[in-house]
Amino acid sequence: MTWTIVVGIKQVPDADEVGIDPDTGRLDRASAPAVMNGPDRHALEAALTIRDAAGGEVIAMTMGPPNATSILEDAVAMGCDDAVLISDRAFAGSDTWPTSLTLARAAEELGADVVVAGEETTDSSTGQVPPGIAAHNGWAQLTYAEAVDPRPEEGRLVARRDVEGGYELVAAELPVVVAVAFGEFDPRPAPLHRKIYGENDFEPTVWDAEDLGIKDEVGLDVSPTSVGRMETVDPVERKSEVVDDVDDLAAAITEVRA
Amino acid sequence: MTDDDGPAIDPDEYEDVWVFVEEHDGDVMPVSWELLAEAKALAETTGDDLVALTIGEDLDDVAEEAIARGADRVLVADDPVFEPYRADPYGEQFRAMVEDRKPSIVLIGGTHTGRDFAGRVAVPAHAGLTADVTEIDVDDEGVLQARRPAFGGDILATILCEEHRPQMATIRPGVFEAAEPDPDRIDSDAGEIVDVEVVVDEDDAVSEVLEREVGETADITEADRIVAVGHGVEGDLGPARELAEAIDAELAASRAAVDEGWIDGARQVGQTGKTVRPELYVAVGISGAIQHVEGMNKSDTVVAINDDPNAPIFDHADYGIVGDLFEVCPALVERLETEPIGEVVQ
Repeated sequence: MTWTIVVGIKQVPDADEVGIDPDTGRLDRASAPAVMNGPDRHALEAALTIRDAAGGEVIAMTMGPPNATSILEDAVAMGCDDAVLISDRAFAGSDTWPTSLTLARAAEELGADVVVAGEETTDSSTGQVPPGIAAHNGWAQLTYAEAVDPRPEEGRLVARRDVEGGYELVAAELPVVVAVAFGEFDPRPAPLHRKIYGENDFEPTVWDAEDLGIKDEVGLDVSPTSVGRMETVDPVERKSEVVDDVDDLAAAITEVRA
Repeated sequence: MTDDDGPAIDPDEYEDVWVFVEEHDGDVMPVSWELLAEAKALAETTGDDLVALTIGEDLDDVAEEAIARGADRVLVADDPVFEPYRADPYGEQFRAMVEDRKPSIVLIGGTHTGRDFAGRVAVPAHAGLTADVTEIDVDDEGVLQARRPAFGGDILATILCEEHRPQMATIRPGVFEAAEPDPDRIDSDAGEIVDVEVVVDEDDAVSEVLEREVGETADITEADRIVAVGHGVEGDLGPARELAEAIDAELAASRAAVDEGWIDGARQVGQTGKTVRPELYVAVGISGAIQHVEGMNKSDTVVAINDDPNAPIFDHADYGIVGDLFEVCPALVERLETEPIGEVVQ
């Protein structure tokens, strides 16, 4: 039996391109282009690594607006066999609860044995969606995975997990959700012919909330959390004194004790 | 539980403030005691009990310490199935306890363990779960005000959970101060220890820990002096390490250095790491991304060493020098050794 490996990816504003508003001195995210969440590119690499070892196929899924198709094209160029866009206005305002429900239903629909995702997204950085997918489906989970070791003969996947002050090796029964620690899986480059295929010929499957049977279980109304206030954070006042030689710096450091 | 019309819950049925006390092999993660101290103030405001809960094996000492540190009650789920930690047995046990006893607020340390299993409680309970919180408060109606940095730390967003219970949050280590244990609380029976029913069976587990290697965990949140390294050290921690030794500092790092594998994740400062508040923070080869600054801007004095004069870190430093860290650090060590930094004056 070969595995169906589903990899969850997300379109986010490019953190490196987020500009500073010259009037307010604050971040202006609207100016940033939309790109694939960095940690998800590492998740894609992990998913392809699992396929290389266990056989099977890798399907990328994303929940987002129609233009999120571009990151699915990237994923297909990198080596995914297929991709699904989950898009519906009904999803608007979803917090992590309905978001992970949506991805959990899609993973089920795709017959996933393994779901791979980045450990968190650069735009909201909750890290809650991968465990949420596992919780909605009652599946095993392996978060902060630094290395993966698929064992098809045992029907399990082993991951090396980063834990505070060390690591652990954990084996999980399938289906399993794996959240990949950022920086541990160097993404492979996309070959030119796959790029051309991804951009010109590939069309993702598109599902809406009704296709997944969750029309009334998503969006703002079912989200347990809501955003109350947003306050700008005043920067901490610093002296910002740049010294020219090391003696002055040493003096400043020594002064700290006084 | 996933009622189409949303949950029909009555917030008044939910009471008490819960704090998860995370232990591994008898060692409690410091963030647990930080949360217990902070939650005491919440419980006093709402008139609720402060309840610690702990899951593991041989927890008598942990339970007693929770009482000494202020808990009115400690719920203990003690069983070999919980050692070492696994997401599925922990999550299931915690979920059952939440369902049975209906807490209003549940606080969990934002450790890898806390962030791993919190969703396994919040999802089936349809509870609101806010990630990586740095400030907490409660309003007159008992609604938790969970504040977390958003947009790279530029904005503090207050997340509310008004119509669901419990109100759950994972909280970043280091942002609150722990209270010292008060042995009188144990002697005077100030708190109650309650053994709860263990609902998890090994046969139901879907995961198995094959190997676990954990050494001494660095606690940079307690350090008086910190030397932190960033991408600029290019994998060579030597100069920064020598500087740290010269001023008796703990070594820490930005996310970039952790992601490169140069230093352990337990030493990461910033939005996805820890919040530190030392007297002296020396940033070596750190550009000063806002996510990093957020974790260190409670430092008393910040010193920056970077070869890029335009690095944002200089805006967030009291003193800076533009120069090659591989030259500046050794020169600095040499100067400091002739005039060593003294004991910290509190």
